[in-house]
Amino acid sequence: MLNSKTNLILCSKKILIVNRGEIAVRIIKACRELKIISAVLYTDADKNSLHVRAADQAYYIGKSPANESYLNISKIIETAKIINADAIHPGYGFLSENSKFIKEVESAGITFIGPSSKSVEMMGEKTSARRLMKENNVPIVPGTTNPIDTPEEALIIAEEIGYPIMIKASAGGGGKGMRKVYNKSELVSSFERAKNEALKSFGNFDVYIEKLIENPKHIEVQILGDKFGNYVHLFERECSVQRRHQKIIEEAPSSFVDEYTREKITNAAINAAKACNYYNAGTIEFLMDKNKNFYFLEMNTRLQVEHPVTEMITGIDLVKEQIRIAAGNKISISQDEIVIKGHAIECRIYAEDTINNFAPSTGIIKHHRLPSGPGIRVDRGIDLKSEVTVYYDPLLSKVISFGNNRNESIERMLRALGEYQIVGVVTNIELCRWILQRESFTSGNFDINFIENELFPLLPESWKSDVSENYENVISILAAILKSKEIELAPRKNCGSQSNKWSELQYE
Amino acid sequence: MNEFVVTINGKKKNVKILKEDKVILGDKIFNVEYSKVNDFLYLVKVENRVYEITTNKLNDLKYRFGLDGYYTEVEVRTTLQEMVNDYLINKSKNIRNDSINAPMPGLILKLCKKEGEVVKKGESLLILEAMKMENEIRSTVDGIIKEVFKKEGSSVEKGEIILTIE
Repeated sequence: MLNSKTNLILCSKKILIVNRGEIAVRIIKACRELKIISAVLYTDADKNSLHVRAADQAYYIGKSPANESYLNISKIIETAKIINADAIHPGYGFLSENSKFIKEVESAGITFIGPSSKSVEMMGEKTSARRLMKENNVPIVPGTTNPIDTPEEALIIAEEIGYPIMIKASAGGGGKGMRKVYNKSELVSSFERAKNEALKSFGNFDVYIEKLIENPKHIEVQILGDKFGNYVHLFERECSVQRRHQKIIEEAPSSFVDEYTREKITNAAINAAKACNYYNAGTIEFLMDKNKNFYFLEMNTRLQVEHPVTEMITGIDLVKEQIRIAAGNKISISQDEIVIKGHAIECRIYAEDTINNFAPSTGIIKHHRLPSGPGIRVDRGIDLKSEVTVYYDPLLSKVISFGNNRNESIERMLRALGEYQIVGVVTNIELCRWILQRESFTSGNFDINFIENELFPLLPESWKSDVSENYENVISILAAILKSKEIELAPRKNCGSQSNKWSELQYE
Repeated sequence: MNEFVVTINGKKKNVKILKEDKVILGDKIFNVEYSKVNDFLYLVKVENRVYEITTNKLNDLKYRFGLDGYYTEVEVRTTLQEMVNDYLINKSKNIRNDSINAPMPGLILKLCKKEGEVVKKGESLLILEAMKMENEIRSTVDGIIKEVFKKEGSSVEKGEIILTIE
């Protein structure tokens, strides 16, 4: 059935997007370009979100808490059936890597835009994933490939591997459920605590041990697979700028990876994808030490937040590829056709107060003006009147800059961050600018401990650059003007409160 | 009111608004043109440059401004309010003042101490009748009764200040 409008052999007619925020908007855009009907879900808190306005159809899914809405499998499958969705796109987070959900989608006769539930299971359990990688020529971080049951076992293994080590939850991932241990004396207690935390967070107390790679870079490779066994890679991304394993700034390609290493690491990534019979979009994450040795960390069996930087340097629309592949088409490009052009950087804009221990900021967006111009792209989930609440993660938008080289993309990003205007919540825009101007960042000599080493000692406020006197003056002038206008409009109120203070003082 | 003190990034700037379009900041005169785009965005023209400043009023005194990617919280007071504020800050810095506040609404049955009297930690200060019970309120510090704000027989609300000890 050739769809003459889009030239695809097979095509979904309606996709239900089971997510929110910027990624839902991103998927809607791909649907629009492919002339596919986009349907979304929303909750009370998301009534005024951008994804609700952008979609072709919007269905109320329930109260705001994620458990009652975006994580509610039965409600979602029911809705998908009622609205006759051909396919479901899970976005990232939420149910995207939940193999139970994927199975139910498959059983309901709906296409899941992602890998098979089997691939997700194989890579979801970290120790079996490590075993699989080891068997398939993918270097792994030295350590165990089976869960460890007793502290005695842990002690022996840690001695073998050599301190420092990491204790990790087998059912964990995304930086959660991990503990560093620097010497023998801490091991037993850390082991016990790690098991307890794993049980509480993931419902499973299995833990394993890996060597702690010190000061590594986080390098990941984007791959695409189709249902015919074809694979391509779309080069690497560097995501070393992180705070507590939450990425802040990502880029493609990595300034640290040379041609030789690139060849090796992208091959390893393809091997990883083949090993679990993967299809659709996926990312293999590695740690890279200062000698450019890389070690498999985990595979993310879904589209990632930072996918835009790969799209910018390759010119390939990953979401459209996902939709095409899921419908039964082959990958639309060959490996030869995929080349790196230029350099891209992404800043994640979070509703967070850097000065206040990164506390989430909530509120209603009252004013919003996007940056624009050469090489600037913004993926966002908010607009005027959108509510930023504690129910969901604080990612507001992503600013992506593209340039002919790394320096140009940095310069463009700095310009864009100055143009971006958001009123209603506190954001990390200023922090992103600070990072981009640090010597460690511009030189490329930064690792995953960069933020902890360079920013944390300057918190809460010393990291803020001095605002130029000029800016301070202009702002002060405006402040005074606004105050005088206020007073003009409400003279009585003001006099009242002032005289109280004076009468108090008179008794002195 | 046309004289203000703006506290920005720990500094104080004196701003005097002369006319619609003239402002004195510190000792320099600025020609200013400004216009409101919407409640949250203003344009301010100073010395051949137009600045786009996002604005959010946080409370009576505080604004949050955004300009060229810099965000800063600013306090504005009239010079009068600033003087009062300084005075109160100095007062609380120089003298340790413990205030005795009503822990619950009630009636002041008896005041055991007068202004100027010495009081020791644990001594009875007053009897507060509340919730059908007589509550003895004792001093938590040694000192001298500085100021008594309420009379015997008067009622107080929860949290209201009754007296202070120096």
